[in-house]
Amino acid sequence: MFVLILAFGCVAAVLPVLASRIGRGVFYVAAAVPAAAFIWGVGAYGQISDSAPLIEQAAWVPQLGLTLGLRFDGFAFLMLSLVAGIGVLVFLYAGSYFHAEPIIGRFAATLLLFSGSMVGLVLADNLLALFLFWELTSITSYLLISIEDEKTAARSGAMQALLITGMGGLAMLGGFVLLGEAAGTYSMAELLERPPSGSVVNVALLLVLIGAFTKSAQVPFHSWLPRAMNAPTPVSSYLHSATMVTAGVYLVARFTPAFADYSVWRPLVISFGLASMLIGAYRSLRQHDLKLLLAYGTISQLGLMMLLFGVGTKESIFAGCTLLLAHGIFKAALFMLVGIIDHQSKTRDLRKLDRLGAQWPVVTATAGVVAASMAGIPPLFGFLAKEEALGALGETGFAWGVPVLIGVVIGSSLTVAYSARFVWGAFGPRPVSMIPHQGFVRNEAVGQQVPKPSKMFLAPVFVLAVLTLLFGLFPSLIDPVIARAYASLVGVRAEHHLALWHGFTQALALSAVAIGAGFALFSWRLRVEKLQDSMPQVPSAQRGYDRTVKGLLEGADAVTGFVQHGSLPIYLGVILLTMIVLPGIPLLSDGVMPDLWFADSPMQVVVGLIMIVCACAAAVARRRFAAVLLVGAVGYGMAALFVIQGAPDLAITQLLIETLGVGVFVLAFRHLPADFVRSKFRRSQGVQIAIALLAGVFVFLFTLFAIGARTEPSISGEYLDKAYSEAGGNNVVNVIVVDFRGFDTMGEIVVLAVAALGVAALVRAKRSPAEVEP
Amino acid sequence: MSFFSALIVAVLFSVGVYLLLQRTLSRIILGLALMGHSANLLLMVVGGRAGKAPIGGAFGPEDTVADPLPQALALTAIVISFGVISFLLAIAYRSWVLTQNDEVEDDVEDARIAQLGEAEMRRWWSRPR
Amino acid sequence: MTQRRSVILDLCVQAEFHTLLLLSLYLLFAGHNQPGGGFAGGLVASCAFGLRYVAGGSSALSRSISIPATTFLGVGMLFAILTGCVSLLTGHEFLESAIFSAEFMFIGKVKTSSVLFFDIGVYLVVLGMSLLLLQQLGGADGTDPDEVQP
Repeated sequence: MFVLILAFGCVAAVLPVLASRIGRGVFYVAAAVPAAAFIWGVGAYGQISDSAPLIEQAAWVPQLGLTLGLRFDGFAFLMLSLVAGIGVLVFLYAGSYFHAEPIIGRFAATLLLFSGSMVGLVLADNLLALFLFWELTSITSYLLISIEDEKTAARSGAMQALLITGMGGLAMLGGFVLLGEAAGTYSMAELLERPPSGSVVNVALLLVLIGAFTKSAQVPFHSWLPRAMNAPTPVSSYLHSATMVTAGVYLVARFTPAFADYSVWRPLVISFGLASMLIGAYRSLRQHDLKLLLAYGTISQLGLMMLLFGVGTKESIFAGCTLLLAHGIFKAALFMLVGIIDHQSKTRDLRKLDRLGAQWPVVTATAGVVAASMAGIPPLFGFLAKEEALGALGETGFAWGVPVLIGVVIGSSLTVAYSARFVWGAFGPRPVSMIPHQGFVRNEAVGQQVPKPSKMFLAPVFVLAVLTLLFGLFPSLIDPVIARAYASLVGVRAEHHLALWHGFTQALALSAVAIGAGFALFSWRLRVEKLQDSMPQVPSAQRGYDRTVKGLLEGADAVTGFVQHGSLPIYLGVILLTMIVLPGIPLLSDGVMPDLWFADSPMQVVVGLIMIVCACAAAVARRRFAAVLLVGAVGYGMAALFVIQGAPDLAITQLLIETLGVGVFVLAFRHLPADFVRSKFRRSQGVQIAIALLAGVFVFLFTLFAIGARTEPSISGEYLDKAYSEAGGNNVVNVIVVDFRGFDTMGEIVVLAVAALGVAALVRAKRSPAEVEP
Repeated sequence: MSFFSALIVAVLFSVGVYLLLQRTLSRIILGLALMGHSANLLLMVVGGRAGKAPIGGAFGPEDTVADPLPQALALTAIVISFGVISFLLAIAYRSWVLTQNDEVEDDVEDARIAQLGEAEMRRWWSRPR
Repeated sequence: MTQRRSVILDLCVQAEFHTLLLLSLYLLFAGHNQPGGGFAGGLVASCAFGLRYVAGGSSALSRSISIPATTFLGVGMLFAILTGCVSLLTGHEFLESAIFSAEFMFIGKVKTSSVLFFDIGVYLVVLGMSLLLLQQLGGADGTDPDEVQP
């Protein structure tokens, strides 16, 4: 499995080079990789059973105990076949969609990288690895949306997608870490087998759900998905309908058997799912751009999937698996169709399309089949999925079962309506259109001739349409796959089977109601549009996103303006106060007072007093040289203290340095005025003194406690012993400097050399006229 | 632990901080020099009690020997701070040559950042999308 | 400046200069066993040149030494690094010392360590730095056309 994932990356690496040679043939090369993955998946499917998945493990960071585990089970196969199968078709489709644009090498490579990350995501067992692949899909999605980087809309759409999904991803990572720590393992299989308990788990689940909701474009995080439609259609068809956006659903599906009974799970997943289903479908009804219509439809369908998995009963999980597959098939096909229409007629605005149906009868029929599958009309696969959903929701046994069921029926009828609207919008005759705030307007482009798409272009759509028809007519073809996916999620064999005809059930009746209501809505479409148009404008998620980003930038600006005001003394004051307060508090509470005596020797008191007086005098000195000399005197005092302390080396060095130092001070200051300029900022002097005193008190206490904090004897005993025997020197300080800690000294002389060269450069630098200011 | 040495460390540091908070560049440098002294002394004081010099042959087996490790560290620190202060002095000299002024003014650039940021943001949002 | 030169200081410095240099070498070589070492030695040598400067200004300083200060810096760094590399090449840790002892006629047994070369490097860097400071900050009067008179 590792080889499989790596293969995606390796082939992706050569695609850009290849593209410059063979042009769009590169897509057919790329298609081979998901095809291989699909074939591998089918082969591996034969080796697994309901309870025995295929497991591969590799040490990732052994020092941290991180193991990268991959796990191939029934549900992973379902996802893999979606990712790889639709991947093959999308690459073939892209071969006709693009001409010889210069971006195709980059595009094919990024798309293949995405494909690989998605395969990794569905195979990953380690939560952190899952997160890694999750973020990789976000990043490749960002790159793919903005692939035509000269378009502003593509760039900002990509950024929005990245910001929202990235934010969710971060939250999810937090959730994973909490879960992993609570359970003591980062393996998803072990986590789900023994789910941890405690209130922290609820927080963790909430965070994980934020990740899932943002990725699967659930209301109110959905605004990125419509804007991601600025991407080329193969991307929309692959990432933003069939695979990447289902990652959130995938995660919920994995987690739901173990976590459905936790208090945050059902209420959140069901309410967000239902809201997304209804709002998505409602918004879809008023779109004029066919791609946007489908995008809102996707939000709606994802909402339904979320809801089904969130309910977490056996039947609903089974229905969720079915819908996941059905949706992948029909939605990818529909996006491809929009791409074809866009490609051939240069528009996807349904107000500018007219009578395509008469010109392209075969395409229209195909679109009709696929859209009918989306609407849930028998005998198509989508109908089966919807039947399962309605059936499962009818038998939840929960008190909220009925309202949710009613909501889903309403959502389904809206789905029927927008499916019909899609077919009519793309292919039907349209003499007039409703334009917001303008009423009904006659269409301009009536009866235009549009060139027919090539057979290669249509082939992937046909394949998907045939699949949705086949699986609908012969459910037993696909039933084992779904049953195994279900079994790997729930842990027990499915007793339920997909069937076209279950008898006269409640679900069938509800389906009929939904279809009837949907067509009624469609036939009153002009009135519906007018009604929607007259509705008060609710705050849209897009505006919410814009406001958030704007607020963030404004906030950052305000903070920068507040923090970075440009006064050096204030910066220093803040830094010093932080230094005093933050370590000061633990110091006072935990410090250990050492044994104290007044002074080491009378000399120390004398020298110390002189130093203190000199230092204070230096602080108030008006004359520059007086201050320099006073500080020099403090330095000589230091030398004396070193002698008392028993450090002759230090004393010598300090004495010499001070002598030289005073000389350098004098040399540098001799051009400056003799007196310090009286500062303009006299008022702040009180504050300065206060900070200085506080710092003094802090350092005093720190010094006292620092000695008390010593728990181990000094390591110098060893140095004392070894200095002569190993380094051949009696002067232990010197031996430490040049031998035991010679590397430090090496660094030090580098600093000295650099400082000296810096001084030379600063002094020698000429004055440039621009720099001179009076 | 001698109370008085801690006091010296504290006073030197305190005066250093006071000078550091001034606006005159040469006083700031003097303040840094004092803080350097304070830090070196701190190393010595915290390192252990005073004793005989850690030189082979200069102490007997019963004598208390001053800890050589902090001494080595302080030795390095003394020389480094000399290098750093020389560099600061060169900067002060250069600043004097260029502006004839020994005062650290408020950073005009920093003050402008807030306004610039605001203008930038306005531009960002008015861009057509 | 030359008119105000003090004869006494001049003579004293001339007398002291070489003594100080000798002292600095003593400190350098004794440093491994007695107080001293590369830092102290280098600083004493720097003070010697500082005295030269005080007595005669930058012209006296440049007369007393013809090697550029940066050469001291470079050679010093080279010494230090090579010492480290030699011990690396002989299969020891970087800067690990090796002890040599040899019998000399008249002097007797001399024992020294390879880190002496490292200390020489330190000595040279410190001296080079001080010379550079004296020449640059000290030479900034009169000779520099951009010099600003306060």
